[in-house]
Amino acid sequence: MRTVADWPRLLLTAALPWFAPPAAAGEQPAPPAMDVPLMREEAFAAGLAHAYRGPWEFFVGGGVAALDCDGDRRPDLFLAGGSEPARLFVNRSPAGGALKFEERSLDTVSERDLTNVVGAYPLDIDNDGHLDLVVLRVGANLILKGGPDCTFAPANRAFAFDGGRDWTTAFAATFEAGSRFPTLAFGNYVDRSAPGSPWGTCHDNALFRPAEGDAPRYGERTVLSPGFCTLSILFTDWHRTGQPDLRMTNDRQYYRGGEEQLWRVDPGRPPRLYTRSDGWRSVQIWGMGIAEADLDADGYPEYALTSMGDTRLQTLDEDAEENRPVYRDIAFERGATAQRPYSGGDPKPSTGWHAEFADFNNDGRLDLFIAKGNVQQMPEFATADPDNMLLGTAAGTFVEVGHLAGIDRPTKGRGAALVDLNMDGMLDLVVVNREENVSLFRNTGARVDWGTRPMGNWVAIELMQRGANRNAVGATISVKTGNTTRLRKVQVGGGHASGRLGFEHVGLGVSERAEIRVQWPDGEWSAPYRVFANNFVVIERGAEQARYWLPQ
Amino acid sequence: MPCDRTTALLAAAVTLLTAVPSVSAEPLPWEERAIAAHVERDDHVGTLDAARLQALRDAGEALFKARFTPADGVGRPMATQAITPVKRKRPFRLAFFRTAGMDANSCAGCHNDPVVGGAGEFVVNVFVSEGFTDTDFDNLDPQFSNERNTNHLFGAGLVELLAREMTADLHRLRAEAVRAARAAGAPVEVRLLTKGVDFGLLKVMPDGMIDLAGLDGVDTDLVVRPFSQKGVMTSLRQFSVNAMNHHHGMQAVERFGSRWTGTDDFDEDGTADELTDGDISALVAWQAGLPPPVEKVPDDPRWRQAAARGSALFDEIGCGGCHIRELPLDSLRFTDPGPYDAAGTLRASDVEAVTGYDLAMLGWAAALRRNADGAVMVPLFGDLKRHRIADPVNAHFGNELLAQRFVDRDVFQTAELWGIGSTAPYGHRGDLVTLDEAIRAHGGDATAVTRRYVALAEADRSALIAFLKTLVIEP
Repeated sequence: MRTVADWPRLLLTAALPWFAPPAAAGEQPAPPAMDVPLMREEAFAAGLAHAYRGPWEFFVGGGVAALDCDGDRRPDLFLAGGSEPARLFVNRSPAGGALKFEERSLDTVSERDLTNVVGAYPLDIDNDGHLDLVVLRVGANLILKGGPDCTFAPANRAFAFDGGRDWTTAFAATFEAGSRFPTLAFGNYVDRSAPGSPWGTCHDNALFRPAEGDAPRYGERTVLSPGFCTLSILFTDWHRTGQPDLRMTNDRQYYRGGEEQLWRVDPGRPPRLYTRSDGWRSVQIWGMGIAEADLDADGYPEYALTSMGDTRLQTLDEDAEENRPVYRDIAFERGATAQRPYSGGDPKPSTGWHAEFADFNNDGRLDLFIAKGNVQQMPEFATADPDNMLLGTAAGTFVEVGHLAGIDRPTKGRGAALVDLNMDGMLDLVVVNREENVSLFRNTGARVDWGTRPMGNWVAIELMQRGANRNAVGATISVKTGNTTRLRKVQVGGGHASGRLGFEHVGLGVSERAEIRVQWPDGEWSAPYRVFANNFVVIERGAEQARYWLPQ
Repeated sequence: MPCDRTTALLAAAVTLLTAVPSVSAEPLPWEERAIAAHVERDDHVGTLDAARLQALRDAGEALFKARFTPADGVGRPMATQAITPVKRKRPFRLAFFRTAGMDANSCAGCHNDPVVGGAGEFVVNVFVSEGFTDTDFDNLDPQFSNERNTNHLFGAGLVELLAREMTADLHRLRAEAVRAARAAGAPVEVRLLTKGVDFGLLKVMPDGMIDLAGLDGVDTDLVVRPFSQKGVMTSLRQFSVNAMNHHHGMQAVERFGSRWTGTDDFDEDGTADELTDGDISALVAWQAGLPPPVEKVPDDPRWRQAAARGSALFDEIGCGGCHIRELPLDSLRFTDPGPYDAAGTLRASDVEAVTGYDLAMLGWAAALRRNADGAVMVPLFGDLKRHRIADPVNAHFGNELLAQRFVDRDVFQTAELWGIGSTAPYGHRGDLVTLDEAIRAHGGDATAVTRRYVALAEADRSALIAFLKTLVIEP
């Protein structure tokens, strides 16, 4: 993030390689042959009137948590408000119909606690079957314990959790081996009280491991130092050992001598940073968001890292080995740099925030969404900076279609959620905008001359297990059709201050059936489940057969 | 002068170009291509009258009989036979290949007994595999494929319409159960009964969860798939797209085109967009309009007498439990694309307007009996349901090594018996040369009926055969 003139960085920015400039006026490339979803913005019509606002502290953040809090399997939305209260909207969208939300009062939570909220992530901390919310704030973070029918109550005291006083901007959770409750990681931003702030005064980050016992208690805080003004973190099994480490993307705007970070997190042991001697290469970006996807289904995920200017897309280098995280950037060769606006004519560099891989057009290939938006009024960066919809192609590259999809709006996007809100098998899109109303895009299908038509086949998968970690955070879902395997990971973390839990959506292209296997968080593989496309599938650990769920 | 020479050469070239027939002009009668002009689907949308239907069916018949050439796009050097687009690991050196295909130059090369659109002898068996892996050697090992006899296509339009109506019933029952369970706040069980065929029990929870454990003989999405020996293909359209790729390497745009694969020449044979949506529509129309087989009245009075006795025995010993004589069909209106295909086969929702035609316009429809409710009684001698048909004692029909599309190796859809008198040999592999052998080979769910058949007096068994031999395809 950048808030005041920073000439050294401007010089560096000017030197960035502006590959693949957009075509000159009148030379728009032909639309791709693949389906381009037509996204209809209908926030106000749906009853979603909400903006993320506030002074400097809220130039970053602006998250949304998508979770089912009332048991109807539809994603409900908890939206950060910055200096205004965060709000909860319950999903009342009919299956396949227009989007509709109703605000639900959070009167069990004080207005003080609901203000200064930067973002939120859903997670069932106490394994009671109701998703809780981890709320990131400027000031004390908050755990809201979920109850029936979208009721939430503060639980910091019950969980012995000290929310601290930092400016928290990132969160991730994992269930470490042998642990009944999740380990919580918080990424913090600038320490405003430190001398010389904001330059070179980043907070440390923190890890909270649950104490032994029958209830979650987080009395012990492990400091992750140094902190480099972290804006997104993610537990990720980068080397396929079954043991996730903690990836952090950091904002070079404020750190001094910092870089991107990867913490090795061995259960029961203090985390330690991977270093040069481990093969970790120094990368310094204005890191804003992380998205993970295993684009080639080789078990080793790729990562999109948003920044100012070009987005990074990292893959394990051939020099990498177990415990040797050597990454190289493939964003340019894959057409995923998204370094400046693709429409609107502003030639200045973009500012990227939330990133997420998903299959918008159900063609079986992962696409990449990036929320974009000027930090506030930075004249050297694009003012009109539309969000990106980069569709994955058969060649393994990405092609920008945001202008064709209808998401090319001059908003200041921040956090986002890619979820099927009306349960029609097509991913919709919620983007939290700074100082402007939330964007709520309904995916209406592929654009054609006479309207829209359905796109490829799909399957949506929800995992359940009894006891601890009921939502199977950390599980891998393998969806096989013919020779093709598509992998999804159940994760809590990453993006930009935004998280979701619920159905994992997988586009299947022209396959009308699929074989699903689940690697549960403890590493055990399930037997294959045979399912037909275009169904919502619920897989309970140990069940002989997957079940379907029918929305109404 | 150089300039003059150039002019002269250009003039000569122009003369040559005008003298030699251009490939872009209308094909010449002897040209080595089967498709002179593709069918444009847009020219055939809306409700077709008899003349327009005939024109579309004529185009479909021509495609069905066509012997495709490289100019049409025959062959698939870089694609397997898989029903989803799958690349070969490396180019294939043989154009024809009996197991993995392409294995025929024309649809009619196999579907020709007793006439085009009919069944096939053992010699035209096909080898069915998923095609997701690619062997690079000549291999007839059954572990790589299942060998199947060629089915006839007569009455196929009626079969698809029956399946659509049954699917609609099953989906309606499911939706009603979901609503009822939600309203009651308690689980609801529903018997999946359509047209007298029982597809088992569905249990629906108040939250919309579906318990599929009680299903019987139908896929878990409750789509009745009436085509192929296994009952795993939804529509003539889906089957045609599959078969055109598998058997001929002719790839339909609606599945192999750039919308899904990013290229208009997925099989890399140098021909783009080999079969248009309209071409497939024409093939569908021709097949859908094929007359159903009939129950003939033999000239020989002894045969008539035996057949009458056999018909009664057919019911008495329980053959009709699965080989249901007639299923009622509410409407003869056929729409294409159909309502239940998934992406990769053109769907009704993929197009602005569908093609519709009433099969009643075809002469054969008048001969179909109607029940008291006005429904057309389709004499297919089948139930469009899958059954386990082999067991360790009577294992013949369990002779495949591969499950197909989630269906176990010993489970098959009830073979429709209409036309059986014209389509020897029998069984899904076509490896039984008499009907007596085929009946005796029934195991699994049919064991009790088979035992009753075996226990019949020889004259009664002969009578049953006499009856079955009256179920014929009449050209």
